[in-house]
Amino acid sequence: MDPLEVEFLAEKETVKIIPNFSLDKIYLIGGDLGPFNPGLPVDVPVWLALNLKQRQKCRIVPPEWMDVDKLEETRDLERKEDTFTPAPSPYYMELTKLLLNHASDNIPKADEIRTLVKDIWDTRIAKLRLSADSFISQQEAHAQLDNLTLMEINTIRTFLLDSLNCMYKLRSNLQPASSKGQYADF
Amino acid sequence: METQSYFPVPPGVAVEENFLSLDDILLTHERLPVRTECAFPRLGFLDKSTDTQDISEGTKMELPLWLSKALYERKRRVLSVELPKVYREGWRTVFNADPNVVDLHKMGPYYYSLGSQLLHFDSPENPDIAQTLLQTFIGRFRRTMDSSQNAYNEDTSALVQRLDSLEKVLFRSGQSGLNDFQSWEKGRAAQLTASTLVLNYRKRKLAEVQP
Repeated sequence: MDPLEVEFLAEKETVKIIPNFSLDKIYLIGGDLGPFNPGLPVDVPVWLALNLKQRQKCRIVPPEWMDVDKLEETRDLERKEDTFTPAPSPYYMELTKLLLNHASDNIPKADEIRTLVKDIWDTRIAKLRLSADSFISQQEAHAQLDNLTLMEINTIRTFLLDSLNCMYKLRSNLQPASSKGQYADF
Repeated sequence: METQSYFPVPPGVAVEENFLSLDDILLTHERLPVRTECAFPRLGFLDKSTDTQDISEGTKMELPLWLSKALYERKRRVLSVELPKVYREGWRTVFNADPNVVDLHKMGPYYYSLGSQLLHFDSPENPDIAQTLLQTFIGRFRRTMDSSQNAYNEDTSALVQRLDSLEKVLFRSGQSGLNDFQSWEKGRAAQLTASTLVLNYRKRKLAEVQP
């Protein structure tokens, strides 16, 4: 999967905006949005929020977890625990990038948030690598990856799948083939 | 958004080789030390070390993997295949001690694939070879993973030069995951680029037009 596709999926998450225009309810396949009234907060998908923001028709209210204190707490917990802690949002990386790039004026302490999210990401990726290594070295057959986000899985997917494939084949060498002496490829 | 126009066929690795894989085709040219168990009349030209017309029984020579595999039969003993040095007891102890210090590119470069192919020839050491192959892979996994996931935008030739061809394929897939993510994070992924196929197509058209 391409990171862009993951980002596309993340754009379906809802975010609160405060519009400065008025519009009736709009009916879309994915659900009804609105009605929009100036000054009244309303939940919309991220893609619409960014579009309205770029046309300067709204102000984005940052999601609850996008807060310096909360992220610091998550970061410290993530560093302390050996297992993965629940991510602030299933799309925290993508949302941080989208919102901070397009609406950094609506988010207080944007730079600090960017650093914190990057810290959390790095800690989690290091943990992911560590667990992948122990997964391989103990020759486990299955693993449970709770609390991992799609973007995190996506960065390691091809590599991990390819190596598991190789390991499976090398392991199947251990069992002597039943049809030895008959080479089908000749 | 894949821009590659050519997808290499992965090597088969296990006992069965992959017919269409370039790596496996190159692998079949690896030479194995063999000992003939019967005389090969008029095939003396194969063995450059002697001038005789025939290859007599008990001659030690090197044959490529594809030929030894075709000639080898369990019932009618035509030739017996000896293990290459890297797969023998002595080297196996080295691999078991610390697989990370070994330069598999120099040893192989098809260490895993050739080792798996050797299992065709019934040697009493087969289980040990298979076990060593697996343990070597597992022992080297962490290094391959870390170097492929951390080397961004730098010269990787020093990192890959000691890797087996199989590990190189893994290294590349790890790199592609890292590069995709980094280019997304920098906002470079959103830029549209022409597919290499289209670019090549245009080039070819121009060359044809010119007299």
